[in-house]
Amino acid sequence: MKRAPYPIQESDTSGKTYWRSLDELGDSPAFAEGLLREFPDGASEPPQGSSRRAFLGIMGASMALGGLAACRRPEEVIVPYTQAPEAMVPGKPLFFSTSIPMLGTAVGLVVETHEGRPTKIEGNPRHPESLGSTSTFIQASVLDMYDPDRSQGPRERGEGRTWDEASAFLRKLGDDARKTNGQGLAILVEDHRSPTVAAQIDAVVRLMPQARVVRYEAFGKEAALEGTKAAFGKALEVIYDLSEADVVVALDSDFLMHETSSVKNARAFASRRNPDRKDKPMNRFYAIEPAFSVTGTNADHRLRIESRKVTEIAYALAQEIAAAAKVELPAEITSAMSGAPALDPKAAKFVKAIAADVAKRNGAVAIIAGRKQPASVHAVVHVVHQLLGSVGKTVKFVKTIDDVKSGLSELAALGKDIESGKISTLMVFGGNPVFDAPADVRGAIAKAKTLVHVGTHVDETAAAAAWHLNRAHALESWGDLRAADGTGSIIQPLIAPLYGGRTDAEILETFVGGARKAYDIVRSTWRGPQTLVADFDRDFRRALHDGVWKDSAFAAETVAVQAAEVASAIKAQRANAPKGNVEVVFDPCPHTWDGRYANNGWLQEVPDSMHKLTWGNVAAISPATAKGMGVSDGDLVTVSANGVDVTLPALVAVGQADGTVVLTLGQGRTAVGRVGKGIGVATGATRTTAGFHVADGKVTKAGGSAKLARTQEHFLTEGRPMVHEADYVKYQATPQVVPAPKKYLSLFEEKSYENGHQWGMAIDLTACIGCNACTVACQSENNIPVVGFEGVTRSREMQWIRIDRYFEGKNPDEPTSVSQPTMCNHCENAPCEEVCPVAATTHSPEGLNDMAYNRCIGTKYCANNCPFKVRRFNYFDYTKDTIEVHKMHMNPDVTVRSRGVMEKCTFCVQRISSAKINAKVEGRERVRDGEVVTACQQACPTQAIHFGDLNDKQSVVAKDYSSPRAYRQLEELNVRSRLSYLAKIKNPNPELEGV
Amino acid sequence: MTTAVLNEDTPGKRAPLVHGHRDFHAITETVAGIVEKKTTPSWVVLFSLAISVLLILLGSLGKLVAEGIGVWGLNNTVFWAWDITGFVFWIGIGHAGTLISAILFLFRQKWRTSINRAAEAMTIFAVMAAAIYPVFHVGRVWFAYWLFPIPNQMSMWPNFKSPLLWDVFAISTYATVSILFWYVGLVPDLATLRDRAKTRTRAIVLGIFALGWRGSHRNWLTYERAYLILAGLSTPLVLSVHTIVSFDFAVSIMPGWHTTIFPPYFVAGAIFSGFAMVVTLMVMARKAFGLEGLITIRHLENMNKIILVTGTMVGYAYAVEYFIAWYGGNEYEGFAFANRAFGPYKWAYWTMWSCNVFSPQLFWFKRIRTSIPAMFAISIFVNIGMWFERFVIIVTSLHRDYIPSSWTYFRPSMFDISTFLGSFGLFFTFFLLFLRFLPAVAISEVKGVMPAADPHAGHDDHGHDDHAEEKAEASESDESDDESEDSSDDESEGSEKDEEESNG
Repeated sequence: MKRAPYPIQESDTSGKTYWRSLDELGDSPAFAEGLLREFPDGASEPPQGSSRRAFLGIMGASMALGGLAACRRPEEVIVPYTQAPEAMVPGKPLFFSTSIPMLGTAVGLVVETHEGRPTKIEGNPRHPESLGSTSTFIQASVLDMYDPDRSQGPRERGEGRTWDEASAFLRKLGDDARKTNGQGLAILVEDHRSPTVAAQIDAVVRLMPQARVVRYEAFGKEAALEGTKAAFGKALEVIYDLSEADVVVALDSDFLMHETSSVKNARAFASRRNPDRKDKPMNRFYAIEPAFSVTGTNADHRLRIESRKVTEIAYALAQEIAAAAKVELPAEITSAMSGAPALDPKAAKFVKAIAADVAKRNGAVAIIAGRKQPASVHAVVHVVHQLLGSVGKTVKFVKTIDDVKSGLSELAALGKDIESGKISTLMVFGGNPVFDAPADVRGAIAKAKTLVHVGTHVDETAAAAAWHLNRAHALESWGDLRAADGTGSIIQPLIAPLYGGRTDAEILETFVGGARKAYDIVRSTWRGPQTLVADFDRDFRRALHDGVWKDSAFAAETVAVQAAEVASAIKAQRANAPKGNVEVVFDPCPHTWDGRYANNGWLQEVPDSMHKLTWGNVAAISPATAKGMGVSDGDLVTVSANGVDVTLPALVAVGQADGTVVLTLGQGRTAVGRVGKGIGVATGATRTTAGFHVADGKVTKAGGSAKLARTQEHFLTEGRPMVHEADYVKYQATPQVVPAPKKYLSLFEEKSYENGHQWGMAIDLTACIGCNACTVACQSENNIPVVGFEGVTRSREMQWIRIDRYFEGKNPDEPTSVSQPTMCNHCENAPCEEVCPVAATTHSPEGLNDMAYNRCIGTKYCANNCPFKVRRFNYFDYTKDTIEVHKMHMNPDVTVRSRGVMEKCTFCVQRISSAKINAKVEGRERVRDGEVVTACQQACPTQAIHFGDLNDKQSVVAKDYSSPRAYRQLEELNVRSRLSYLAKIKNPNPELEGV
Repeated sequence: MTTAVLNEDTPGKRAPLVHGHRDFHAITETVAGIVEKKTTPSWVVLFSLAISVLLILLGSLGKLVAEGIGVWGLNNTVFWAWDITGFVFWIGIGHAGTLISAILFLFRQKWRTSINRAAEAMTIFAVMAAAIYPVFHVGRVWFAYWLFPIPNQMSMWPNFKSPLLWDVFAISTYATVSILFWYVGLVPDLATLRDRAKTRTRAIVLGIFALGWRGSHRNWLTYERAYLILAGLSTPLVLSVHTIVSFDFAVSIMPGWHTTIFPPYFVAGAIFSGFAMVVTLMVMARKAFGLEGLITIRHLENMNKIILVTGTMVGYAYAVEYFIAWYGGNEYEGFAFANRAFGPYKWAYWTMWSCNVFSPQLFWFKRIRTSIPAMFAISIFVNIGMWFERFVIIVTSLHRDYIPSSWTYFRPSMFDISTFLGSFGLFFTFFLLFLRFLPAVAISEVKGVMPAADPHAGHDDHGHDDHAEEKAEASESDESDDESEDSSDDESEGSEKDEEESNG
């Protein structure tokens, strides 16, 4: 045992003599020797030739003492702030605005943090892409950030490395590339939306002119960009303003759910679906699509037809519209479109009716072509917009954030060059191309000599990469984004990177030899050359506070139709059109998108809007196809497309075109964390550059079957009045479209709900599109556990709010559909309260049906007696094994439930309490209308959910309750629920009646 | 048919209640002999089997407590299934015991005497088996005691509106009274065993439990009063317990549960299933322990008649439910009943009908009513059918209730099955212990109904009970009671004084 000993005393006689002991004073030799030792004699030497007896003695003593140590509680250190952070009051949440890249746009957020932990994401009302609302993916991002299976650090060929080593490698890579002018270097980016990253990539290209940059998204908007390029000569972002559209036509587009800017579009769309609005009439919406999408369920008229046939319908529609509106389509286009086979009579009638309707609207029309439709359809649609005068009214075009080449041909060329050795270094910023690129390209990507992968997870691409660099999540790093329309926003970190990840910008900075931090890089992007520092600081702080950079949206471009280009696009499309009888279409997975959310339990468990399927993927086939093959739900089928077979369970999807098989991509990940492991079947092998969105294929029965985890098994109302619907015209004439409410008598003494706040909720079924944002928002707000595949197959999902899906109509091929969110109704005469033997569920004076988890012993009687079946039981201790990191996302205002207790929607009682406290602090007696916003209400992109005080006659919800559309489910049971629905109003075209 | 002669239903000409015993002592020897003789290998085999099944129960409950209710197959729509089915099933089984002890006692149905002891024991063990479920089906077993109104510092009381709370009182009262009734009835017989005890320890232990019984007139007087009072107390319980159990369902608002017919329907069903279980057990026990002379065909036939009556009542209730579902015009209720008969659980529903309504109808035929194999088979069918009745009521009503989106299909898990199976282990373990260590037949009561105890006996039958016996034996078919005759012959050597006294 060596140490720096006390200095051995040199005889110094210059001052007083201090001594440490009498031995020192006496200058004894034992002391001199002892000075060199750390411990006294015998304490630090190992026992020499230790005897068995001594060994046992020491071991015994250690055991005894070890036992003593184990008896102690672990020490917990409380460290007070010596300097309190600004505005931090323990127990009170703080809200920060930030934003997140989402499906080709950026969405502004306001994130709730508790003691430095982000716990809940809300939309930023100031941000045009959010307006305060969110989607499932956005809501679940907070869980994604806390994912314990995220990449924990840089890796070289699977071996852990430090960031210093990684930076050294990056710098060397950059230096080498610079020497060769970037020869052999390619950068693959996703649709990152970051002007900083775009600027840095520009810098890379400036420094290394030979470097190639390609953008790839498995479900991106290439077709739309190519469409605008064909129509107007330059690739432009298409921005719709559906609040101005009297007629909306969706051509194979799921613009309410799975296309860019879905939150914004849903909000604008819903604003025109309000039948009570006086200034503008309700819009009319036509959907033409191969398989029921969320968008399709909200259509007034829906035509089910194979995706490949939608293209011809789009051409026919353009011609019909031109004829009906008496505008001239450019002759080249008309001639290019001619020679099409006649549409089937039903489609023809449909097209005629739409055209007639569109022609009447004076340009207040939005025609939205979907991702799966070829560029020519997008181009033709914009030509029509231009002719009808819709451009500038319902649709505008803005420039893209960069000029990076995107599209399949670029990716395919990149793949070829990697194979041929032209490209030796490939840097992948985000995305997982080895998993989600077309099957003919992904092999090449994995073969790149030096593959550098930047990502949040050690995924398939990371596994193939020479270097994997762990990327910071958008909630834990500095960054910036531009929305589709160009609106800028700053990403501010809510927490320091959990696993030390770095942003793309920082990595690129290192690559080009810089050393700035993300914060400085972002600031330098936004600071114009002339801006004064003081002005800039103010603007920057303002942008941080507001969540949007003031007036940063791009100006609308003026466009002119290039008829010849459009005509040639049509001809090119015709030449490549799929010709088979059965098409296989590829859609994003509603749970994992392209696979990126595969390790997110909330998203895996949120039932998809149409089939209510969780934890897996299926091949969706039409009822007629299923019948022909003798296949029912869960039977295995083999789907062949692009020469590859994949076997997976089938699902009979009503309302699907007979010639269409829908495969979703994004499940069946192999290199994924604990949650996504073994979930679903990978279908990517069937998707190639040739048949990327739509491919010729076939489906055959494979024999055998698999379990499907679905949260709803019965999709018919059985004639029960669960949902009331009416036509707009009829509603305007006689607004009482639901049975008039009746007064029922009760045997028990009636409670009075006259005083104080009386909370109630109303859900407008006309507005609800069934997107599930509320379900995930509720899960996030209320610490709701995930039960997994096994749990869902046993019907034990825990979500407090569920969205019931009902199909109506006699013909299973042509049903209409309605979605109905349901949660605890907070019945005034609650059947659950009567039967609880321990009074664990009781009524609050404010009309809430409260659960006292501490009192609940779990007889489950309340749930049996609940007519709405909204109660959820903790069958197991779902939170027992919660990983430490996951504990951080828990909302501290909501109890984490133990096993054996019942739970259910509380109407976000914690938010009610907080609003009441605020009111009290401000000296108000009552909470104002709109002060309490439930989690579901806040997330809802269409604002279908209203919540408030029924005793406040001016409140939105009180007005809803007195609406002639208001009805309550199972009113005849006299449970007097506090959840009212507003009947769904549709606006059908009389010309299409009976079609 | 010789039995036909014996079972003539003219009063006074009924078959004797005891066969093959010449005197009181023979009865004592037969019954006490079971307790005092060495353990038979067959008992050991049966007991090991029962204990093994009991271990399955303990294992299943251990798993349940360790992991949660999720080990069962319950889901978000069907929150009760095999657990409450098992609960109602066992509570129903218990009913025959009380009915035989109390109501038949009050109605002076003397034929009850040879079976009442075992039936009462069955009641107690069935209630024990039933009690497993309300305790263990709760999510937090360790707080199950909160169901009792225990004063506490938070002044938290249970919710007296909840039928589950009524259950707690009903079942605990029922269990208490049943145990008391059974024990009081046991006292004279325990005294008999005490007096016959060969070892000091045995005499002391039995002496403690015999409460110092000396067989005096005062003892008898007090005993019979107590017995009468307890019978009076138990009688309303027969009706109330299952009525209250039925309230668990009737008070709810679930279509298929919310019906006013439930109380009488449940009581009838309980008696039905209880008697079926008594028949099942008695057929086995009389064979195994040679009690054919005490538990005669007449006893069994009487019980079969009750099974026929209550089975028909239950069938009537099934039919009336349908009538009301149609006549009431409630669409949800109409659907619930249509769904029972033709929905996904129709197999369970029609099993119930076949077992409960159709199979007992065979008891209209005397041949079947008095045939041991036939009645054994039918009693088993009834037991199965009554389990299915509760399953049908609970699960088919819940699995498709008001909101179609939450409809599901319940499938039991391994632990649903093992817990239910295991409850038979509990039941049979205790029942076998009872048969081995306590007098399975009420010795004193049986003696009371022997012709020998009747001062007027023999007026019709030429005076002497010996005659009656002979006549009976003579007219009885050879195959019926060989063993018991042998044993009674062996044991009828001498009668002891105290035996005479205790039957004073």
